[in-house]
Amino acid sequence: MLVHSRGARWAVWAVFALLFLPLFALPLLVVLGASFATHWSGALPSGPTTANYRTVVRGEALHALTTSLLTAVAASVLALTVGTWAALAAAALGRGRRRVLDALFVLPVAVPSVVVGLSVLVAFSRPPLLLNGTRWIVILAHTVLVTAFAYQSVSAALARLDPAYEQAAASLGAGPAYVLWRVRLPLLLPSLTAAAGLCFALSMGELSATMMLYPPDWTPLPVLIYAATDRGALFTGSAVAVVLMAATLLVLFAVSRARTRASYR
Amino acid sequence: MSIRFDSVTVAYDGNVVLDALDLTVAPGEVMALLGPSGSGKTTALRAVAGFVRPASGRVLLGERDVTDLPPHRRGIGMVVQQYALFPHLRVEDNVAFGLKARKTPKAEIRRRVAEALEMTGMAAYARRHPRELSGGQQQRVAIARALAIRPAVLLLDEPLSALDARLRSGMLAELARLHRELPEVSILYVTHDQMEALTLADRIAVMDKARLQACGTPQELYRAPANAFTASFVGNANLLPVTVPARGAVLGDAELTLDTAGAAAGARATLCVRPHLVGLGEGPNRLTGTVREIQWRGATHRLYVDVAGHTVRADLPELREAPAHGERITVHFAPEDAVLLAAGVSGDEH
Amino acid sequence: MNTEPALRAAPAHDAAGPAPEPGRTNRTAPGAAGAGPGPGSRAARRLLWALPPVALLALFFLHPLALVVRQSLQPDGGGTSLQPYTDVFASAAFREALWTTVWIALAATAGCLVLGFLLALVIAFVPFPGAKALARFVDVFLSFPSFLITLALLFLYGRTGMANGLWTQATGAAHGPFDFLTTPWGVLLAEVTYFTPFVMRPLLAAFAQLDTAQLEAAGSLGARAPHIVRRIILPEALPALAAGGSLVLVLCLNEFGIVLFTGAKGVTTLPMLVYGKAILESDYPGACAVAVVNVLISVGLYGLYRVVSRRAGA
Repeated sequence: MLVHSRGARWAVWAVFALLFLPLFALPLLVVLGASFATHWSGALPSGPTTANYRTVVRGEALHALTTSLLTAVAASVLALTVGTWAALAAAALGRGRRRVLDALFVLPVAVPSVVVGLSVLVAFSRPPLLLNGTRWIVILAHTVLVTAFAYQSVSAALARLDPAYEQAAASLGAGPAYVLWRVRLPLLLPSLTAAAGLCFALSMGELSATMMLYPPDWTPLPVLIYAATDRGALFTGSAVAVVLMAATLLVLFAVSRARTRASYR
Repeated sequence: MSIRFDSVTVAYDGNVVLDALDLTVAPGEVMALLGPSGSGKTTALRAVAGFVRPASGRVLLGERDVTDLPPHRRGIGMVVQQYALFPHLRVEDNVAFGLKARKTPKAEIRRRVAEALEMTGMAAYARRHPRELSGGQQQRVAIARALAIRPAVLLLDEPLSALDARLRSGMLAELARLHRELPEVSILYVTHDQMEALTLADRIAVMDKARLQACGTPQELYRAPANAFTASFVGNANLLPVTVPARGAVLGDAELTLDTAGAAAGARATLCVRPHLVGLGEGPNRLTGTVREIQWRGATHRLYVDVAGHTVRADLPELREAPAHGERITVHFAPEDAVLLAAGVSGDEH
Repeated sequence: MNTEPALRAAPAHDAAGPAPEPGRTNRTAPGAAGAGPGPGSRAARRLLWALPPVALLALFFLHPLALVVRQSLQPDGGGTSLQPYTDVFASAAFREALWTTVWIALAATAGCLVLGFLLALVIAFVPFPGAKALARFVDVFLSFPSFLITLALLFLYGRTGMANGLWTQATGAAHGPFDFLTTPWGVLLAEVTYFTPFVMRPLLAAFAQLDTAQLEAAGSLGARAPHIVRRIILPEALPALAAGGSLVLVLCLNEFGIVLFTGAKGVTTLPMLVYGKAILESDYPGACAVAVVNVLISVGLYGLYRVVSRRAGA
């Protein structure tokens, strides 16, 4: 313990609360509060209502929720497949080649999402792969953006994986495919589910590239939130935002439950 | 099945970690690779398992050259220090792993798993996960897993070093029993612990600095070590620099009688005598010096005696009247208990 | 752009392998278990396995990026020229966006570092009941999109929001003093709020590695808290701070949602400029030119971040 006197400790905590609460706790509470209100012209929101949520569960917003969920699931599954494959392949390479693969696969993190959106728009607005105007271009951009994170998660987990396991398996007569399927992937499962959760959350909240690409019939939640706030419907926007947060949290919670069950150590 | 190292050299980034090892383990023999860490003993074992590729030389199992064979085609049982039990599989599935990988029929798998667990006394734990077992139990499962594939060769890499001292001696006896039950299995046993090697091995290969220093039965190495390193690493040894005139040897002003065959007259040499073979009082080959330190060790007393600037250690059966610190005393040893080694570094001061 | 720091910040796990003896596990190639007939064909086969994901990446990411570069050299008039770049560099809008982007990013990074260090320090070394739960809350915070912060700030500091509401209630004034949301300061506040957890995570991981015995020893020798922080904790935290800071810098340079939601015409950053030129003005060559500049800055900094964090992990 760094601060020993009781008084000083309370003082430190008070400063901490003063910084932490308004900066981090308040924003989330405020969005939650606003989602149940019709007005906000004083210190607190007023006009309690659930009307905002009633608009959410029908029509546009419900469609956006399914759009977001489908996009996020599709992008996560694709990204996890490609990212895991790439990470496994990279781990088997020599140091120099592995560095190259590392650099290539984390590049999408460094490139601004808006530029990823622009590049996908430029590349797939013409034959032979004309995806512009379809849902696939949104899913594709999300996949590109989250693959980097899947790759990094799995790579880090692979580096932590004790080679003694695969060597023990090999000494028992298991070929590389059998070792991968029966030993390495099961041992990686906790990290894979964590990576899946991460990819899902990122895709659910993706706005930058999506703004450049979404067709009218494939509007994910963040775009809808922006549209609502842009036309001044802040309270409806808040309700949609709460739905977005709740959906993300629910999936993350489910994933972390699955993860606890999948971790053996 | 025999294991043969034919001039096996292993290097990493230009660092030679195993230097032209020539060694043969006979079928059914227990060979201990004994050496300090970094001596190349684990590298030698991993070359047999197939996890390191020799820069030159060959590894043969029986008559078959396996140097270029991947590990999973070698059919070797292996147990490592940390056991590497698969944490996601139950004990029985861990033991069945090698059999399933070879697509053994189900009934046969069940029979062999039961047999291996029976043999290691782990039958009652078949449904547990590795994390629910103690270190000693995990160790037994690791051995059962390696034995289930009925290997002709068993590699043990410091298998007891993760256990506490009491469990270790129990497991040593257990391993000796297992080997009696499976007399045809050749065992290569890597350890840094001389007690394990002396207890278990038919022969010991002493390694240091990437090279094989000596190889022989425990008795040979203990009674007639080939060099100073072996003498000090296998058992305790007093290593004293002497000069060899025409006959006998000279330490300080003491003239000693012993077998000097092989040592050139007038040469320098190292005298090796085991502490427990040094006696107190008058006798042949007397050495006189001052008691620098005296330690009571229960059944024995250990004396550190300064003789002509060198320390002679003597392990004596518990003394009724131990000499006092600083007292001048005489110790002796029988001519047949001493060995002359090529001059080299003097021994460690344990 | 979430939990990346957590992945980078776990060097301890990498080190906690089995008892290392030279040549025991580390130096063997990880794939040594899967061997082919000869070393040459084995290496070739491993390279072959890397091919499908790399091909996908090339098709869906690298190739589009190359097309952006090509487009940036092909003005609408036709032909190939540097015209889009000269146009872009000549425009006041671009220069202002570049400046705004850079200074907000730098200021936000500095803010995140200071705030993150202070908060992590308290959580780690002056723990209170619930500090663990709080650390987990920070993780959750990271999984929400950035624009939510701007949305929340509208209610907190907007013209009719909580802060101004409190002020008018207290003073009776017609309207409150808080009116900075549509200025760069609003963006700065949002970015500091959103990205501070990105600094806290690697810091908390680094602090968890710190030997508390060291702190106790220093404390028992009579060192006071500020001295301990400066002399013992700060040096240990430097790698994590450097890694977290450079990541936040890159993410701030690329941030789009916060700026878009602010809805301020006065605050234009490079990503906003790309979006505006492409979607609102349909000036693709111009958008691509700005994009190339943005990518060069970000990727350069990210490369630096990777180097720094690899050092930190070593």
